[in-house]
Amino acid sequence: MSKQKMYMRMITASLMRRRSRMLVALLAIAVGATILSGLVTIYYDVPRQMGAQFRNYGANMIMVATENGKTVTEDMMNSALEVIPEENIVGVAPYSYVTVRMRNIPIIAAATDLASAQKTSPYWFVTGEWPSASGEIMFGEEVAESLGMSIGDTIEVTFTPEITTGSAESTSGGDTADDESTADADTADGSAADEDTNIYMDFTVTGILDTGGNEEGYVFISLEDMALLTESEVTYDVVELSVSASSEELSSYVDEISALDAGVSSRLVKRVTQSETTVLTKLQALVLLVTIIVLMLTMICVATTMMAVATERRKEIGLRKALGAPNSSIVAEFMGEAILLGGIGGLVGSGLGFVFAELVSVNVFNSSINFQPALVPITIIVSVAITALSCMIPVRNATQVDPAIVLKGE
Amino acid sequence: MFFRMLRGALFRQKGKMLMIALTIALGASLATAMLNIMMDVGDKVNQELKAYGANITVVPKTASLISDLYELEEGTVSESYLKEEELGNIKTIFWAFNITDFTPFIETQATLASGSNVALTGTWFNHHLDLPTGESLDAGIKSLRSWWDIESGDWIDEQVEGGSTSAMVGKTLATAENIKVGDMITLTASEGSAKLVVVGIFDAGGDEDDQIFAPIDIVQEISGTDGKISSIEVSALTTPDNELARKAAKDPSSLSVAQYETWYCTAYVSSICYQIQEVITDSVASAVRQVAESEGTILDKTQLLMILITILSLVGSALGISNLVTASVMERSQEIGLLKAVGAHDSAITGIVLTEIIITAIAGGVIGYFVGFGFAQIIGHTVFSAAIDMKPMVIPIVAVLIVIVTLIGSIPAIRMLLKLRPAEVLHGR
Repeated sequence: MSKQKMYMRMITASLMRRRSRMLVALLAIAVGATILSGLVTIYYDVPRQMGAQFRNYGANMIMVATENGKTVTEDMMNSALEVIPEENIVGVAPYSYVTVRMRNIPIIAAATDLASAQKTSPYWFVTGEWPSASGEIMFGEEVAESLGMSIGDTIEVTFTPEITTGSAESTSGGDTADDESTADADTADGSAADEDTNIYMDFTVTGILDTGGNEEGYVFISLEDMALLTESEVTYDVVELSVSASSEELSSYVDEISALDAGVSSRLVKRVTQSETTVLTKLQALVLLVTIIVLMLTMICVATTMMAVATERRKEIGLRKALGAPNSSIVAEFMGEAILLGGIGGLVGSGLGFVFAELVSVNVFNSSINFQPALVPITIIVSVAITALSCMIPVRNATQVDPAIVLKGE
Repeated sequence: MFFRMLRGALFRQKGKMLMIALTIALGASLATAMLNIMMDVGDKVNQELKAYGANITVVPKTASLISDLYELEEGTVSESYLKEEELGNIKTIFWAFNITDFTPFIETQATLASGSNVALTGTWFNHHLDLPTGESLDAGIKSLRSWWDIESGDWIDEQVEGGSTSAMVGKTLATAENIKVGDMITLTASEGSAKLVVVGIFDAGGDEDDQIFAPIDIVQEISGTDGKISSIEVSALTTPDNELARKAAKDPSSLSVAQYETWYCTAYVSSICYQIQEVITDSVASAVRQVAESEGTILDKTQLLMILITILSLVGSALGISNLVTASVMERSQEIGLLKAVGAHDSAITGIVLTEIIITAIAGGVIGYFVGFGFAQIIGHTVFSAAIDMKPMVIPIVAVLIVIVTLIGSIPAIRMLLKLRPAEVLHGR
């Protein structure tokens, strides 16, 4: 017991006595440990964080009804969504396409959950505002240009319900709707009946949408307004999903959804998923290599500093040997010091490293980083190992030399 | 005498000086590698993001307004075309160097021998272009549709014999019509028919799965649209949009002269679009926002991430270097004590110690620069399969950094040395 006490005392005393030098060594170890824990934390979190950025490319999965011509109901959608873990879902935007007429021109109106559409299609550039209240509409740029609409204008939208029941093709071309309404006027007695079948609703333009894609040819309203306009329950032609997951996970979701047999089948948007995998793999490889090189160089830096600090103590070692200390006890003492220094440095470093990783994450990705508890012991072990290893080389050299020579200062 | 002492100090303590030089070299190589990568990562990631396909589409002026509305009616192919002979002009615009790929499309309807109607698209696959600038370029959908899975067979190779009479068939269509690789299909369009060999069946995960793709010449021939194209897809390296670019995208004439110059001479997607419109008659070039916008975001984030990692490693290597310099200078208290005892001035001691360290630092820094450049190349080749550009700017940054760091690292040590009392040190306390 007293022997152990003496050992501890020697170690702490040696650290305290040479305070400034030990602080230098401690600083070196702490910096190395900070870089280790910071970079590794970032490396582990990059796929998740970058994956979230890649959701900017929009939906990577769509769901449609399995049977041709059928549409997806809300229940079907919800049952299929249970397959995907909720935390992975970035956005779910159901779309219902209906042909309406404005100034007698047939135009496709897309009804969707507008809040979710902003999440699934973050790249949509809206001049003005997204519709937020009932009776508000967003125009695609092409439609707005051909109809000469600008923000704040009001337009009357006409919907002609299909008379022939059982025809599920609500998205069929505008001319079909036209034909049906005239056919309806022929069969019905008088124009009064024709007036009755048409539903009119006034909308105010709140925004103009610019995407560079097909969406510019549509107008967008909320699902609630669509229900009012068509006077029926809205079912979805397609559901766009933005899911943050790897391509393997996505494929397994697709298989699971089709296995559900809920009348819904899902497909991956290949262009988005495939390219995401390619780019993300490269980015991860980049961060990995950078991490390895930075770590390697930092560890060598720490080791050289420690070696320099230990080399100076050749005299001390010589003196101990002259007093009759066996090599093993000298090595044990230096080991103790190294473990103490490495441990403190590693502990401080893993804390600072996490702070750094968090700082990076907040600045770059605007979200906080996942704490990896396993990294704390790993950082401490690595710091202790490197400290011990780099002390051992000069200490061993010193112990092998004749104490007289060392003490003489040669 | 000064130089003799200097030389003596450098050579007598070879081991110690080597160690300082080594640490400085390590720090310098770390700084060089990270700075080089950081400065080049934007270009490299930009190249990678080209996997998402074209970020600019060019269509005839009239078609852009009403194509979708027409499609609604019947799916008629729009009547206006771009001129094929003007395609090469795309590579003559101000930002020609940033255009990495482009390909024309001509769309038509054709009838198979079985009588079914199919959508036929003529395009480039790996078309070889010799540009007036002396460069050459292989452009086509092989790189612009990198996400296509080739189910069986291969891509059409336009540069070999028979490449111009080949076709690629979408997966869905191939299953429906029972077409296999090696089959001969006969396509009849409005102005003639052609026999094409199927060389590949692809899975595009979209509408293209129902279509047939063939080289553009043969499609133009059988549809009577010689020299005409219906759209062009352009893949360009762009700078992420800012306020100026947004303003300009709406109406370039609203800018002041200076703003216009800045905008025109920056590789914003809107200014590249504008320049393409200048060289292609009656065309509308528009940014594919899904690609253009997202590229900007990801590029910004990656660059910021690399900058922060670089800063961390710079701080790390700076501390490492100054630590070691402090430690090694302090060791020499006996020598300094002796100098003082024989009557050396403080300034002389400071001068000699600093010169020694700076010489070592320069040697270490030069070695470190090349080693670091090597590390950067290793990363470049492993990750991006391309060399990392050598940025001359890195050299002064690393040089200044090393000098400052070594000087700062020596300050506490020198202050301590100057406070030494010769008698005490020489006595060994």
